[in-house]
Amino acid sequence: MGGGTSGGVAARHLAEAGFKVVCLEQGTWVDPGDLPGNKPEYELLGSKNWHPSPNLRGRREDYPVDTTEADLPVWMYNGVGGSSVLYGAIWARALPSDFRVRTLDGVADDWPLTYDELLPYYQAVEREMAVSGVAGNPAYPPGYEPPLPAAPIHRTGRRMAEGMNRLGWHWWPGTNAIPTVNRGHEGKCVRYGICRMGCPEGAKSSTDVTHWRDAVALGAEVITRARVARVTLDERGRANGAVYLRDGVEHFQAASVVLMAAGGIGTPRLLLMSASDRFPDGLANSSGQVGKRLMLHPYGASVGVYDDDLENWLGPAGEHIGSMQFYETDTARGFVRGAKWSLLPIAGPLEAVEKWTDKGSMRGEDFWGEGSAARMKSFVRMLQWHVVPEDLPEETNFVSLHPSLTDSDGLPAAKVHYRVSDNTRKIVDFNLERSLEAHAAAGAGDTWIAGRNFMTGHNTGTARMGDDPATSVVDRFGRTHDVPNLYVIDASVFTTSTGVNPTATICALAKRTASHIASNAREQEISS
Amino acid sequence: MSAVGASQLGDESRARLAALADVLIPGGDGLPSAGDADVAGQWIDRALGANPDLVDTVVHVLTIAGAPEDVIADLRLHHRDVFDRFAFAVGGAYFMNTPVRRALGYPGTAPRRLPAAEGEAEYYLEDDILSPVISRGPVYRHVPA
Ligand SMILES: Cc1cc2nc3c(=O)[nH]c(=O)nc-3n(C[C@H](O)[C@H](O)[C@H](O)COP(=O)(O)OP(=O)(O)OC[C@H]3O[C@@H](n4cnc5c(N)ncnc54)[C@H](O)[C@@H]3O)c2cc1C
Repeated sequence: MGGGTSGGVAARHLAEAGFKVVCLEQGTWVDPGDLPGNKPEYELLGSKNWHPSPNLRGRREDYPVDTTEADLPVWMYNGVGGSSVLYGAIWARALPSDFRVRTLDGVADDWPLTYDELLPYYQAVEREMAVSGVAGNPAYPPGYEPPLPAAPIHRTGRRMAEGMNRLGWHWWPGTNAIPTVNRGHEGKCVRYGICRMGCPEGAKSSTDVTHWRDAVALGAEVITRARVARVTLDERGRANGAVYLRDGVEHFQAASVVLMAAGGIGTPRLLLMSASDRFPDGLANSSGQVGKRLMLHPYGASVGVYDDDLENWLGPAGEHIGSMQFYETDTARGFVRGAKWSLLPIAGPLEAVEKWTDKGSMRGEDFWGEGSAARMKSFVRMLQWHVVPEDLPEETNFVSLHPSLTDSDGLPAAKVHYRVSDNTRKIVDFNLERSLEAHAAAGAGDTWIAGRNFMTGHNTGTARMGDDPATSVVDRFGRTHDVPNLYVIDASVFTTSTGVNPTATICALAKRTASHIASNAREQEISS
Repeated sequence: MSAVGASQLGDESRARLAALADVLIPGGDGLPSAGDADVAGQWIDRALGANPDLVDTVVHVLTIAGAPEDVIADLRLHHRDVFDRFAFAVGGAYFMNTPVRRALGYPGTAPRRLPAAEGEAEYYLEDDILSPVISRGPVYRHVPA
């Protein structure tokens, strides 16, 4: 269910293993020629038809997400490749401590698996996703070797690296799922710098490029424009397929095993829409945890203005460098857990203007009007840090079905209830202050906090993984506790959000579940 | 009004748009004003064609009577959402103008292919810039088995 990021990883693996795979995807294939990044209108197209908010895009396949009771918008892409079509491709494994936050910090829950257990799957998907970077990052246990050589950190990264060295703080050349050499379907990065609008060159590892084409060549079938309305059960309570709508007509797709890959908002929505006599509160929801504990990573951003032209528009975007200096818990700071930082290009002038106009900007001066020319002249001399905070799970942050709003097929929209918690806010505040110090150490004359709560496509935690069926939705292999042939393989299963960009972990978990299914097919209970 | 409609803005509307846009972007420092950069001509048509959601705002602002400075000041103070959307449309149009883009330091008419040269990645890591990071050793937290 869903032809996105995790779906692609699992579909290709299962097709390679000889399984018959059918994918139901509400969106369509992306034609790279349609992508805006190399067109003069790129930033305006990116503010509408290619915006990461489904509400702003408003395409037929974009189910509305009501965020009137949320502190930030919710982003995603609905089509083959899913959110990886618009992601920044910053590739970050979670750290060993991320899987043990209860043990180490007394908060939330430990994951039912460890970094070491996930390690072989990280390594496998790093090859599949053409991850590029420099080996030996001391923020990770020894042996982290990205398969492809790193992209240049450019003037931007170099300038900031010198500042970080002055402070004695950790930094490392960017690790991105962006190939630096030609391979398979993918060309190598040509540094347009517009990764978050989709790559017109096919040189960013979104799963439509890296996985789905191969899966189809291996016999997998992708039914596009197919909106799943509900997952169905046989009389023994096994999942036996799904009802979907295509051009308003209802169809049924039978299945012996069902994998949910509709994303951190789409999967709980679909499970809740699949309520039945057997599961009146939503499919696989005997724990009451479906949709709960939504974590969103409310980003913060800071900028500095430097003396010289840093060509800050050059890709990959992707990060040029990253820092884990303040990632691990130090209770003296007044909060637990921490944040990862990414130094990112600024794709163009309209994005640069946002550093003044964003609601979270602390610049304190209007951009437009008298003096705007001088402000414009500073665009290419700016560097920006993005701060990704770990967001701990709260029962009060959740996804529910909208009581009245519907999608283009008449199915209930998603409603997101989300408030930034005190701990998360403290993480962001602390890290933004430190990032201003980093700008100053790197030689910026002017520095300011340029945004808070402005971006997330990191929608995690809404079908959490755990050992206890009373408090979690899926087990350590992603199988729902309630239905033995129903799996969840997307970002929903995150027990905690980690403080890094999630796609590495999403892909590793999807690979692990797919491997588990393939290796244990004989024991797998299936529908009748 | 549809995007097609936007491209049919009459001469009067375009003159009005140029005057309002000049308040937002008066130019200077080697940059043209919005009017001189033909924001009210081909560029606004392309901007609104790319994001038709902005059409209604632009058309609405063009109907507000008053001196351009006063109209913009009033929007800025009392109708911030309208101001922001109008400024976004005008800015988007202005930044598409190729000489403006060039004067700001951006390449070409749009992002262009600039693949990394042989040895470029290594060049930016010269002078052992990573050595201090490596010599400080691991920064991740040990997790008991
Ligand atoms: C702008 C942006 C930038 C990002 N940058 C990064 C980054 O740099 N690094 C990183 O690690 N992560 C990044 N992310 C996050 C990352 O892209 C997502 O976390 C990840 O792609 C989610 O994968 P998924 O499999 O959970 O869901 P998705 O990839 O979103 O897939 C879900 C799929 O299910 C389909 N679907 C949903 N409901 C239905 C239904 N009822 N019927 C049929 N189909 C359905 C959708 O259309 C979609 O294709 C970013 C996200 C965004 C939006």
